[in-house]
Amino acid sequence: MTRAAIITEDLVKTFGGSVRALDGVSLRVPQGSVLGLLGPNGAGKTTVVNVMTTLLQPDSGRAEVAGIDVLKDPAAVRRSIGLAGQFAAVDDILTGAENLTLVGRLNHLSTGQARKRTHELLERFELVEAGGRPAKTYSGGMRRRLDLAAALVARPAVLFLDEPTTGLDPRSRIDLWKVIEDLVAEGTTLLLTTQYLEEADRLADRIAVVDSGRVIAEGTSSELKGRLGGSTIEIRLADDTEARHAGDRLSGIGDGNVTVDGTVVHVPATHGTTTLTEVVRRLDDENITARGLQLREPSLDDVFLALTGTSIADDAQPDPAQDRTDDDTTGQP
Amino acid sequence: MTTTAPTPATAVRSSDTGDGLAWAVRDALAMAGRNLRRVARQPEQIVFTLVSPIMFVLLFRYVFGGAISGLQGLNYVNYLIPGIAVQTVLFSAGVTGFALADDLQKGFIYRLRSLPMARSAVFAGRVIADTISNAAGLAILILTGFAVGFRPASVIGLLLASLLLLSFALAVSLGYALIGMTVSSAEAVNAATFPIVFPATFASSAFVPVMTMPSWLQGFATHQPVSVVINAARSLILGDTATAEQRELLLGATGTSSLVIQALAWTIGIGIVFGVLCTRKYRNLT
Repeated sequence: MTRAAIITEDLVKTFGGSVRALDGVSLRVPQGSVLGLLGPNGAGKTTVVNVMTTLLQPDSGRAEVAGIDVLKDPAAVRRSIGLAGQFAAVDDILTGAENLTLVGRLNHLSTGQARKRTHELLERFELVEAGGRPAKTYSGGMRRRLDLAAALVARPAVLFLDEPTTGLDPRSRIDLWKVIEDLVAEGTTLLLTTQYLEEADRLADRIAVVDSGRVIAEGTSSELKGRLGGSTIEIRLADDTEARHAGDRLSGIGDGNVTVDGTVVHVPATHGTTTLTEVVRRLDDENITARGLQLREPSLDDVFLALTGTSIADDAQPDPAQDRTDDDTTGQP
Repeated sequence: MTTTAPTPATAVRSSDTGDGLAWAVRDALAMAGRNLRRVARQPEQIVFTLVSPIMFVLLFRYVFGGAISGLQGLNYVNYLIPGIAVQTVLFSAGVTGFALADDLQKGFIYRLRSLPMARSAVFAGRVIADTISNAAGLAILILTGFAVGFRPASVIGLLLASLLLLSFALAVSLGYALIGMTVSSAEAVNAATFPIVFPATFASSAFVPVMTMPSWLQGFATHQPVSVVINAARSLILGDTATAEQRELLLGATGTSSLVIQALAWTIGIGIVFGVLCTRKYRNLT
């Protein structure tokens, strides 16, 4: 059995006596793997991170990071972790290099070590040229890279990234994903929170779906998608009448129900492309012309919708203007 | 089964087992260095901190000074400079609160709290840096005073008075720090403290002798802490150049030691109360 770098058992945290930000969260992250905590604003993701990074005491429950009990020896935990929060926690007035050296010194590196590490990290995150400029002159993507670099100064065994790409433009987001993927390839254990399905899908080995302070589902991306019973064939027709007609003609294909939603007919692709061929043949036989046809894997959004009854995408649209997104710690949506 | 990893030996820290106090000092100095660097990089703030007391010196020395009465024959410049000095350090003490509010708002403290640094270093670094900038401001004020005729009785008295003023500012800055951690922005710190600091500074013996004020105000203006500290500093600065009568009427006591003891009592009291509240507040920050 793989060793666990992060363990939480039944974490409970309430705010103001009534808001249950964490309602019994149990997680287990094997060493060297990536767990994505996926959930909407206010789900409790940041609260989980805050407990594990010793910033917040839970009301009850237990947490262990890198083999150290978070409640019994928080100081030792802080020596083993790196944290990059929801918004880049860098000093605007200091230069990029000064930011990293300061974090190095506060991590109790010697001055020489701190400088050397600063140089390595600036190089790695392509900030060498910007290293001498105040951080306030940086773009959003550069700030996030600097923030991530600061979290890595002491080569932490376990890394926590709380919504690392929230508020970034798509291009910077993809750049940052590449950086994170490299880190993971080097064996860092990572706990990542995100509101973006795509991000969890791409970066995480396993995903824990969090809603209202509870883990409502956990598994690999494909396991979660598998819960919905595999792929669907979507056939788009000219209008609603034709769609209903096509729905009638296609019934009996696959072993699930054929459903009609507006101009689109959904057929469960029970036997993959064989079912697809059958659909095409039947449409041809019936002289029905489809406007579009695709075999679609269920998305994580479908999973989320199925689990919670609400679509995560509603409040998780990328918004570059929104740097500090939510006040997750209050547990309010 | 749950098996857990041993602490990986990947950290490159030079030492984690050193003396806790030594690390606390090192961390505080690192934070102080950062804070001072910020001050040096934002010259517009320095200009404001330094220019305003100089303007006050010139304003009271040359514009209002001639109309101020009740000085019992004491040279007004010598009366005025200790008062403006207290006003200067009190207003500068606000920086502690503004800066903490700013660091909190920008999430910088969030990062610091996840580091293995001494937790006291956030405050200690703040206080060290702010006291250094405050001392620089005070030095410039005193030099300006010299240029317009200020003459302390002795260098020792002037130095002791400066130390007293800086300690008082430090104690008050913890109050600002508490407010800085409670409200969300530097502007809000200003809004929350101005209604207290402004009357405490002006309804005091800072600029005019208290006895020229209406009698209902005299009681407050004589005994409130700002006046007590000003009078103690004034007493140290005037030394033996002030007569017993001048001391009695202007400072409310003939001896320096009783004034200094009162001033220290206020300073220590304010420092302890706000120090404890700050520590508690910081621990409970989310």
